[in-house]
Amino acid sequence: MPGMSLSRPLPSLLRLVLLGAVSAALSFYSVGHPNLQQFGLSLARPILWLNGQVRDVWLAGNQYLQGQAALQSENTDLRQRLHALEMQNLALPVLRAENRQLLALLDSFPTAPGRVTVAQIEAQSLLAGSQQITINAGSAEGVYVGQPALAPGGVIGQVVTVSRDNARISLLSDLSSSIPAQPLGGDEPILVDGQGNLRALSVPFQSRDTKLVPGTELVTSGLGGRFPPGLPLGVVEGVERKNGGPFAQITVRPSANLAALNTILLLWPQTRHSSDR
Amino acid sequence: MKAGALFVGFLLAFLLESLPFGPLYAQLHPDFVALLILYWALSSEQALSYVLIWLIGLLQDLLLGDLLGAQAISLVLMLVLLYTWMNRVRRLPPWEQLFFIFFLLLAQQLAAWLWPLLLRPIAWHNALLIGPALGAALWPLLTYLLDLMQRHWPQLRR
Repeated sequence: MPGMSLSRPLPSLLRLVLLGAVSAALSFYSVGHPNLQQFGLSLARPILWLNGQVRDVWLAGNQYLQGQAALQSENTDLRQRLHALEMQNLALPVLRAENRQLLALLDSFPTAPGRVTVAQIEAQSLLAGSQQITINAGSAEGVYVGQPALAPGGVIGQVVTVSRDNARISLLSDLSSSIPAQPLGGDEPILVDGQGNLRALSVPFQSRDTKLVPGTELVTSGLGGRFPPGLPLGVVEGVERKNGGPFAQITVRPSANLAALNTILLLWPQTRHSSDR
Repeated sequence: MKAGALFVGFLLAFLLESLPFGPLYAQLHPDFVALLILYWALSSEQALSYVLIWLIGLLQDLLLGDLLGAQAISLVLMLVLLYTWMNRVRRLPPWEQLFFIFFLLLAQQLAAWLWPLLLRPIAWHNALLIGPALGAALWPLLTYLLDLMQRHWPQLRR
């Protein structure tokens, strides 16, 4: 850089206060008006498209660098796993029939969680508080705000903003995320909150004598109507009771690995949007 | 710098900000937009408009889905701090500038992190320190490459 010595004008306090006030007003306004975020997502389309191209080149490069031997080994491994799964599949119709009979005895009816579609991540913003990813599916594919998003393992979050070609998903770990849940096999209603950490969620307001213990599996309860009941959310990892505190501090490890997301599954629960598809 | 060069520069910076290369990259990468603004301010013969920088920050908020206004006001504060020490920073070679750059990036990052307190709780993450440190470490290389580009293609300058 050329060595210049210019005196720079500092902004007047009034100008700074004005910019601060407009920023604060926008912050408050944007929370109650998702249209602004939707506009931003539409605006970001060219950058998201470029991101998708870079991701594809990156993945293709990785595959190329893996070499033929590694690919053959992976192929053999995948074939073996396919055979094992085919063997397991043979038993599925029998198990399904047995399950249907048992559920009928319990006066209940089995319902599949719904239709799913696959999407790829095009951008991510994993700041300390706001943890969101952007995917390459939008309202053109029928994606809607509040739609459950899954990955291998379980729930990862829900759609918060939708444009024509993209949607933004707020992860379970986002500070604003709170999902109604219950222990697997139990009916005690709880909430699973994000705390800005991809590997640890929390269960707030549980009394010191809570029945939750390390190892307890948590699933969606279906309360609120956004998530169908029974989807895996996480596993209780730690229950801490601090002296004098009224509540136990409960840490939950997400069932899906939020730190290694590649493919996202969007779920259309049976109860909604299924009749018109 | 010419408007076209700046447009391409900011497009690249926005791209680098949001690349889906996993959580490690997402949490640790330096703020490329802030780095480009610092370079632009230090190499420009005219003072940058605070409103223009605020608008660039607002665009970044919109593109990344952050709380609207957080990045915008934090970039303005970073620029105010830079202009406070402008003459001193400019006289330093890039490798000495990096300490100032670290401080400025850290101030910007902390301001953007604290801003959502207006509306919701926030959580500390060590990445808040690592991003600015990596940005400062990149500074000498970045200034070298951008200076080289400006020397090689003088038409990039105004």
